[in-house]
Amino acid sequence: MTIAVCIKWVNYSGPVESDTPDERFAGFSFADQAALEWALRIAENSSDEVLVLTAGPEGAEAVLRDALSRGAHRALRIDIDLTNDSAVIARSLVGAMSQPRMVWCGDYSNDRGSGSVPSFIAAELNIDQALGLVALDLPESANASFTAVRRLDGGRREQLLISGSAVLSVEGSTARLRRASLKNTMSASKQEVQVITATGDRVETPALRPYRPRPRVTLAPVGLTALERVKHITDTSSSKGHGETVHAEASAAATLILESLRKWGYLP
Amino acid sequence: MTDADIIVVGAGPAGSCAAIAAARSGKRVVLIERGPFPGSKNMYGGVIYPRILDELIPHWFETAPIQRWVVRRSTMVLSDTGALNIDYRSNAWGQAPYNGATAYRPDFDNWISQQAVAAGADLICSTTVTGLLRDDQGRVCGVTTDRPDGNLTASVVIACDGVNSFLAKQAGLYPNADADNYTLGVKETLSLSKHIIDERFGVRDNQGVDIEILGGTSGVNGGGFIYTNLDTIAVGVVLKLSKLSAQKKRPEDIIAELKRHPAIAPLVEGGQVVEYSAHLIPEAGLEMMPKMVADGLLIAGDAAALCLAAGIWLEGVNFAMASGMYAGQSASAAIDAGNVSAASLKSYTNRLNETFVLQDHKKLRKIPHLVLSDRVQHKYPAFVTGVVERMFRVDNPTPKPGVRRIVREERKKAGIKLSELVRDALTGLKGFG
Ligand SMILES: Cc1cc2nc3c(=O)[nH]c(=O)nc-3n(C[C@H](O)[C@H](O)[C@H](O)COP(=O)(O)OP(=O)(O)OC[C@H]3O[C@@H](n4cnc5c(N)ncnc54)[C@H](O)[C@@H]3O)c2cc1C
Repeated sequence: MTIAVCIKWVNYSGPVESDTPDERFAGFSFADQAALEWALRIAENSSDEVLVLTAGPEGAEAVLRDALSRGAHRALRIDIDLTNDSAVIARSLVGAMSQPRMVWCGDYSNDRGSGSVPSFIAAELNIDQALGLVALDLPESANASFTAVRRLDGGRREQLLISGSAVLSVEGSTARLRRASLKNTMSASKQEVQVITATGDRVETPALRPYRPRPRVTLAPVGLTALERVKHITDTSSSKGHGETVHAEASAAATLILESLRKWGYLP
Repeated sequence: MTDADIIVVGAGPAGSCAAIAAARSGKRVVLIERGPFPGSKNMYGGVIYPRILDELIPHWFETAPIQRWVVRRSTMVLSDTGALNIDYRSNAWGQAPYNGATAYRPDFDNWISQQAVAAGADLICSTTVTGLLRDDQGRVCGVTTDRPDGNLTASVVIACDGVNSFLAKQAGLYPNADADNYTLGVKETLSLSKHIIDERFGVRDNQGVDIEILGGTSGVNGGGFIYTNLDTIAVGVVLKLSKLSAQKKRPEDIIAELKRHPAIAPLVEGGQVVEYSAHLIPEAGLEMMPKMVADGLLIAGDAAALCLAAGIWLEGVNFAMASGMYAGQSASAAIDAGNVSAASLKSYTNRLNETFVLQDHKKLRKIPHLVLSDRVQHKYPAFVTGVVERMFRVDNPTPKPGVRRIVREERKKAGIKLSELVRDALTGLKGFG
């Protein structure tokens, strides 16, 4: 079966803004590299084929050839306008995969991407997702389940048991990508990369804007002394806790999160 | 059958030119570079004199990634507070076929390596050559690299791995590498708007300036330089290694001091440091040159100490390109002749001897040591600027003193004996003359 790895051709040079990365400074992020390494390790213990994909312009074939030289079996570039949003990019990637057993991604790219493509891929394929993994145990055999640790907010960790098909996104620290042999490096430039053109039926997304909390009506502080007025404004004297613990089913929790984000002004 | 006909180690100017020449003669060439792309690990002051490229890449100036064409060359002598500047300008140098140019090495080296690729060479980056392979008779027959399964065989290896070449040392070609023969070059690249650079340096469009400096190195033997790029300037110093370590000074402090000098401060003022880099220079010229040929092996460029550092000239890239080109041609001819022994590869050193590569070095043999000598470094700047200061100072009602008197008095003040002055002048005349 196929293990798919999605990597993104990005500019390493940090602050330099450019639509077409300077090929000298371009590559794929450490997170994407780690994803490829996990896929190669798993394929070594099975008869799986590692298919590496990228959505991007012709220059992006350099990272695919690099991946081939490190042991990937097949490479595919999806020629699509990268200004499409993540859902469209994910759909174009999934369209080129055909029933993968697993999909590996880096948890975010170097170009300040949203990191949302992996979850859209999972939604498109209708399989489980385990995102933002910081540690993994290599499965003992091809179809064995395995554990992985995921980063949560506030320094918490979540342990996941992964069995069956899934989309996994990993942090760069989880694995160091192997070096290509000299012979593979020399033949990399001659390796074939398949190209698929995707039109990208654009999804119109609402314009994004920086976070601006909703205006709140605040009454003039009461208190005789300045200290009392400051306490009143900052609410420090009240014993009210900040935050609320809610126990809910996943879909209800998601609705609650969306409602709260809307209330606090993060969502329109 | 070998993996390649010729392996070139290092895609600096020497390596890429070697690869171009060899690939053009139909050889299977592998050019190996340790950096992620050619030029990524390379630094220098900033001016290239690429005339030699006319032979290898006709009309190179139409595609080379040049920052500015040098139309002003200055030599500055700095005392603690004074400065004597000899400045020459030729706007003709700003037009084809040009003379010198400033360029960034990550651009220039990458461009020239692409010419090698276009000629048919295989360029392999992010790969460090770790040693030489030898056959059972001890002849060099390939290289080892840091990649898995990383050995590569070839008929000839051309080592263009730069100053402090590990390959040349491993081949036993540098029997007495001596730290005293090296200087440390240190450079800051300062960002300034093009408009400000044009105004301060008196240039327009893509005209550029090359300033070489004697003195201003905080008492450490060496020199300095300032070069203009489009919207940055390079300011740096070249410091004799042994003196730098003996005086326990930090190179970045020495650059800071140079930038504070009253003659330099107005040129660099407001420049924001966007890059700081350092690199060794094989400074001693002919005195330190290794054997350049062994069975199956040639060395070129800085690896062979073919860098001309003679005060008013700091030229290495042109020597690297020329020696690389000749090495590529000789290696190719030796393979065609079916004999890659040291004797057969000797055509390389013959070619170097016939051309500017070794002829300039021979002529200027004594100059690097003269320029870095304690006298030239610590006494002459004060002497020269003292003479000029008094020649142009108007002390009326005192009448003007004669030049001979000024020279005599300033020479004594600087502590230079007449015999020493005559000896140095003769050495200089012989070298430069
Ligand atoms: C501060 C300073 C200022 C200078 N200013 C000037 C100037 O203005 N004009 C001028 O003409 N010259 C100048 N020079 C000299 C000039 O930089 C050198 O002479 C020139 O770069 C030599 O070219 P090269 O190809 O021999 O070596 P390099 O340019 O050093 O290239 C060597 C290449 O080999 C690669 N390499 C090294 N070891 C290995 C290995 N084991 N495996 C694979 N690859 C390897 C390196 O990454 C590099 O790309 C200056 C030098 C310095 C340090």
